[in-house]
Amino acid sequence: MSKSAIARLQGAVSYAFLLGLLLVVIFPFYWMTVTSLKSEDQMRSLVSMFWPSPFVVDNYRHLLQKTDFVAWFGNSVFVAVSSTVLATAIGTIGAYSLARLRFLGRGFMASATLITYLVPPSILFIPLYAQIRNLGLADSLTGLIAAYPSFTVPFVTWLLMGYFESIPVELEESAMIDGATRFGAFWRVVLPLSAPGVLAAGLYAFTQSWNEFLYALVFITDVKLRTLPVGLSSFITGDVYGWGFLMAGAVLTTLPVIAAYIYLQKYMVEGLTAGGVKG
Amino acid sequence: MSIQAAQLPAKAALDGRGRAVAVGLRRVLGPDYRMGMLFVAPILLLVLALVAYPFGYAVYLSMTRKYVGLPPVWVGFDNYVKLTWDGFFQRAVVNSFIFTFGSVGVKLVLGMAMALVLTSQIRWRGFWTGVLLIPWVAPTVVSALNFLWIFDYSLGVLNYLLVRVFRLLPQGIGWLSEPGTAMASVIGVNIWRGFPFFGISFLAGMKAIPGELYEAAAVDGATALQRFRHVTVPGIKNILIIVVLLSTIWTFNDFQIVYILTKGGPGGATQVLPVFTYEIAFGAQRLGEAIAVALYMLPALAAVIIVLARYMRRGRRS
Repeated sequence: MSKSAIARLQGAVSYAFLLGLLLVVIFPFYWMTVTSLKSEDQMRSLVSMFWPSPFVVDNYRHLLQKTDFVAWFGNSVFVAVSSTVLATAIGTIGAYSLARLRFLGRGFMASATLITYLVPPSILFIPLYAQIRNLGLADSLTGLIAAYPSFTVPFVTWLLMGYFESIPVELEESAMIDGATRFGAFWRVVLPLSAPGVLAAGLYAFTQSWNEFLYALVFITDVKLRTLPVGLSSFITGDVYGWGFLMAGAVLTTLPVIAAYIYLQKYMVEGLTAGGVKG
Repeated sequence: MSIQAAQLPAKAALDGRGRAVAVGLRRVLGPDYRMGMLFVAPILLLVLALVAYPFGYAVYLSMTRKYVGLPPVWVGFDNYVKLTWDGFFQRAVVNSFIFTFGSVGVKLVLGMAMALVLTSQIRWRGFWTGVLLIPWVAPTVVSALNFLWIFDYSLGVLNYLLVRVFRLLPQGIGWLSEPGTAMASVIGVNIWRGFPFFGISFLAGMKAIPGELYEAAAVDGATALQRFRHVTVPGIKNILIIVVLLSTIWTFNDFQIVYILTKGGPGGATQVLPVFTYEIAFGAQRLGEAIAVALYMLPALAAVIIVLARYMRRGRRS
C-alpha cells in the first residue's frame, strides 16, 4: 500500500471509531427523549419503535401535575445553588491561601484537602448521617447543603490552587508596591484574572451537587423533601414502571446540566483536566 | 524586598513592644499567617466536622454492636473477624474487584483510543470532544435509569434491536435479571459513564508532549507503535497513573449504578461493597457491622490514596 492509502485508511478507521462511540454515547439520551414523548399504548405495542407516533405530552403533564416532581426540582435547585455558592466561596479563599500565602500549617492543610477529596462518600455516609442528625439537620434540605461541601470544597480548592499557582506572583507584588493590601491584591488583581477558573470550579460543584444521590437517599425520608435523583429513582416501585413519565423526569433533570455544559464547555473541559491532572 | 516595603507604614504605627510581638509571631507562624489562617479556617472547620470527626466515629462504631436507636456495645474486632468468614461479604469483595478491574481496564483502553484518535489529523475535534464528554457530566442516576429502561426484558430497546432488527438472537435476554449477564451489564454502564474522563485526561497529556519528539522519532525511523510506546506513553505516564488510581477509587466505591440497576441482584450476582454496606445499615439496621463492611478495605484504600496524592502533588509542581 502507498503512504497516502495508509493515511486514508487510518482516517477512515478514526472516523468510524468516533462515529461508533458517538452513537453509543448519544443513544441513551435520544432514547429517553423519544420515550418521554410516546403514548402508553405505543410503548406497550412496540410499534414505530424509534419515533413517537403520535407525539404526546401526556407524560410531562402527568409528571408535573400528578407527582411531586416540581417540588423535587425546587429542592434540587435550592440545595445545589446554596451549597455551590458556599463551596465556591470557601474553596476560592482557601485555595488562594494554600497556593500563595506563607504560614505555619499550610503544607499540612494542602495535604488534608487533597486527601479529603480522595476519600469516597461510600465510607463516610453512615457516620456523616449520624453527625447531621446530631446537629438536628436530619431530614432537612439544610442538612444536604451542609453535607455537600464535604466533597465539593476539596475539589474546588484543589482545582483553584492549580489556577492561582499559574498566575505570576509579580502581578500581586506590583499591586502591593502601589499601595494595595494583601487582600486588595487578591480581590482586585488575582480574582478577576481567575474568573474562568472560579466559574469552572463552581460549575463542577453545581453539577456534583445536582447529581448527588447517596447522601440525599440516606439523609432525607420526607417524600416532599427529596432531590431529583432520589425522587426519580423512587418512581421504580416493584413492577409498576411508569417509563413514560420517568423518562420525562429524566429529560428535565438532565437539561440544566447539559445546557450549562454546552454553554460553558470550554471552561468545563479545562477544569476537568486541571481537577484530576495537569498537562 | 517589595512586600516588606509595602508593609512598613503599618508596622510604624505599632508601638515598640507590639512591634516586637508582631515580628515574633510572624517568625513563628509565617509572614502571611493572619490572612492565610483566616482564609483556610473554613476548610479546616469543614474537614474536621464533616470528614475527620465522622471518620473517627466510624472507626469507633465499627468496633461496636450498634443497632439504630440503641446505644453501641463495644465488641473490639468482632465485626471484622465475623465478616472475614461471612460468605455474603466474601462474595461482595470478589464482585467489587471484578466490577472495578473490569471497568477500569476497558475504560483505560477506550480512553486511550479516544485520545489517540482525537490527537490525530481529525476534523471537528472540538465537536467530538464535546459530545463524547456528555456521559461524564450527565447525572449518573439519570443514566442508570436510562439503561434500566434500555435493558428491560420485554419492552427494552436492546432486546428489540438484537431480536427484531438485527435478528442476532432468537429471543431476548434478561440483561439484569440473569446472573450470567448482570455483572457485565452494570460494568458496561460504568464504562459508558467513565471512559470520557480517561479520554479527556489523556488528550490533555498528549497535547503537552512537544511535537519535536515525534518528529525526531519519525526521522529515526520509528514505527507508529514504537512512537506510541517510547514517546506517548512516557509523556503521559504521570497522568496515566493518576487517572487509573482515581478511577479505581471511584469505581470501587460506585454506589448509584449498581443500586439502581440491580440492587446487588440477582441473588447477589452484582452485590458490591457500597451497596452491601447500605443494605446492612438501612435494611438490616446493623450500623456497626455496616461500617465494618465500609472500612474493611480501608488499609488498601489508604495505600492507594497516599500514592495517588503523592503523584497529584508531584504533577502540580512540575
